[in-house]
Amino acid sequence: MSARIATRCPHCGTAVEEPGFCCAGCEMAAAIIRGAGLERYYVERTAPAPRPAYTASAGPAWSEAPVETLPDGNCEVRLHVGGLTCAACAWVTERVVLAVPGVGEATVSPATGRARVVWDPTQTDLDAICGRVAAIGYRPRALAAAAAPDRELLLRVGVAAFCAMNVMLLSAGLYAGWFDGIAPREAALLRWTALAISTPSALWCAEPLLRGAWGALRQRTLSVDLPVALGVVAMYAHGVVATIRGEEAWLDSMTMLVALLLGGRLLEQGGRRRAVEAAQALAGIAPAVARRVTATGIERVPAARLSPGDRLLVGLGEQVAADGVVVSGAARVRMALLTGESEPIALTPGDRVVAGAVAEDGSVEVRVTAAGEDTLVAKMAAELARAADRPVAPVLADRMAPAFTVATLVLAGVGLAVQGPSVALAVLVVACPCALALAAPLTTAVGLGAAARRGLLVRGGDALRRLAEVDLVAFDKTGTLTAGEPVVVAADDAVLRVAAALARHSAHPVSRALVTAASARGIPLADAHEVHEVPGEGLTGIVDGQPVRLARGAHGVAVVGMGEIRLRDALRPDAARIVAALQARGLRVALLSGDSAPVVARIAGEARVDEFVAHARPEDKVAWIVARRAEGRRVLFVGDGVNDGPALAAADVGAAMGEGAASSVLVADAVLVGEGLAPVLAGLRVAVSAHGAMRAGVGRALAYNVLAVAVALAGWMNPLAAAVAMPISSAVAIWGARRVEAA
Amino acid sequence: MNGILLLIPLSVALGATFAFLFLRAAREGQFDELDEEGRKILGDE
Repeated sequence: MSARIATRCPHCGTAVEEPGFCCAGCEMAAAIIRGAGLERYYVERTAPAPRPAYTASAGPAWSEAPVETLPDGNCEVRLHVGGLTCAACAWVTERVVLAVPGVGEATVSPATGRARVVWDPTQTDLDAICGRVAAIGYRPRALAAAAAPDRELLLRVGVAAFCAMNVMLLSAGLYAGWFDGIAPREAALLRWTALAISTPSALWCAEPLLRGAWGALRQRTLSVDLPVALGVVAMYAHGVVATIRGEEAWLDSMTMLVALLLGGRLLEQGGRRRAVEAAQALAGIAPAVARRVTATGIERVPAARLSPGDRLLVGLGEQVAADGVVVSGAARVRMALLTGESEPIALTPGDRVVAGAVAEDGSVEVRVTAAGEDTLVAKMAAELARAADRPVAPVLADRMAPAFTVATLVLAGVGLAVQGPSVALAVLVVACPCALALAAPLTTAVGLGAAARRGLLVRGGDALRRLAEVDLVAFDKTGTLTAGEPVVVAADDAVLRVAAALARHSAHPVSRALVTAASARGIPLADAHEVHEVPGEGLTGIVDGQPVRLARGAHGVAVVGMGEIRLRDALRPDAARIVAALQARGLRVALLSGDSAPVVARIAGEARVDEFVAHARPEDKVAWIVARRAEGRRVLFVGDGVNDGPALAAADVGAAMGEGAASSVLVADAVLVGEGLAPVLAGLRVAVSAHGAMRAGVGRALAYNVLAVAVALAGWMNPLAAAVAMPISSAVAIWGARRVEAA
Repeated sequence: MNGILLLIPLSVALGATFAFLFLRAAREGQFDELDEEGRKILGDE
């Protein structure tokens, strides 16, 4: 028997022909991990480690990171670590960094890839620390966006809340005095203290609101910020005058208003940050360093300094650093994040390759056509960041804002003419649309958060609103209703035993299905020797001393000369249940697939969808969606691959599977994260609930404003009524948004 | 009467102290990552 027993690399899990590591990089990574006493990583991890690139030793990708010198002389840096797939990855990265002599603190977030390291510059430097991380296969790089604006708003919210609560407390004393009598000296003390505390709230905390209104005004538009800002300014001006004259100042309403509005903004911002982080993670998939071929040899250069026309060498386990065309060599690369295709693609001269692709084997020389900011992956990340940066539009409130502002000003003018300045001021104060401005962003923020917790990341308030109106759900077949991974449906045990013996050495989805089926049937795996994988053709090897070949068959794969194994794409376990639940909500469910009619009919029957279309090319799917929309239907399309992009864009709402192609994620209004289709149902439910809550909230807020303005215009508005009514109307808006969470 | 002259400035000063502590904590980044720290203690033995 041959001594060449195939097995897997203990570090990255790549199939190798002899026991041991697949490459020097993995061996070194494992040595670092074991050397630091972190073997537990191999037990705890849920995904194989990335294969370290040979070019890991010098990396300008992190040299651009802004290093901060702390007061105690230590250095601090914030980085993004790419390639983290599980909590154990973050753990091992953190510990490996901590094991570098001189490093004081290190934290790595598995969810976002953000890392923070503090070290003593006399003992080590950033190159040594990041080199260590790169040596175990993860990709540290400078973090471009600072987290500063987030904190700014948080500070303002905190101070505004502090002011609001203290002014409220002082005002309670004044209102008690209104009923029971209060000595003028005490009343003056309470009033002046309240004015002092509310000043930072009006002048500093409310700045973003005033700025927003001013900005909109300069662009000659009337946003909902304008009446709000007008109200804040009027209230504060009135407060100052009233305090001097010893009258009721209503400053508690003003501070509360500022605190609530800023709080609503903080919630909105939280949802948007997630999308920006997703964009950063995407940017992190392109490598930082490339090997450039020059007249004198090969040099290492930062990927950012490459330019079109350069020639790059890409070897085993390395990533392509720029978009380009293969000029020589042959390799198989995986571009899963970009194309959604998990199978490696064979490259030959003339083929195009994109930055971020990983060479699984072989080596190629690539002529660069686009580098740095111009690569597809960088453009996609920029597009995603821009999309995420658009504010959550409080659509309904903004549509009403112009009419609302004009009406308020006209009524205040009428008040001024008929009843005098104090009534005009009262109108401006009580017309301030606090609840109106709160209702839309608050229900949107709560709705987006609730949908995200249920596994559906919705891109913004507008998409959430369109999702609420959907009445037709169209699913793509592969990877959506079905898992996109084949399962064995019929096989002879003896055939399966031989096939699985060969398949054990391959990472192909079909091979995984064969091994899973064999172990499910309790078949002990035979030994296979001299296993070779021919991409696109199959596997050859020696089992039981006989040469065997595993090749594509009519309905699956065949062990040549022995028999066939039938495989098929199976329905997701929850597909039928989700389809039934959608239909129970009164939605129509359709299946659009590019597969042949019998296959699609079978899947459609199993999932019990209302209708199906077979042989659908991407343009057919778009045409079908456009036709349904022309009939007045609101269409939600759920798809995953690159070719689903046009259909996702054509539908009222396009939802992409999170494990699908990044390009489809990019055009989608919503992304499903996690396993299964349950997020579609839960997301729809949340969207409908949020939409209802928003309409109800806006309605209530408008009713309150109309009533309050009428009372103020009649000159009946007394300070206690205003002080009680305004927080109550805001509290009702908040309570209305809370309901969405329970949907 | 005299009590309130003392107590109100005192309570405002106390509140201002907390506001100051909050500002300092927020500037140092204590509220940047709210989920991660809790998850972290579960990972370690």
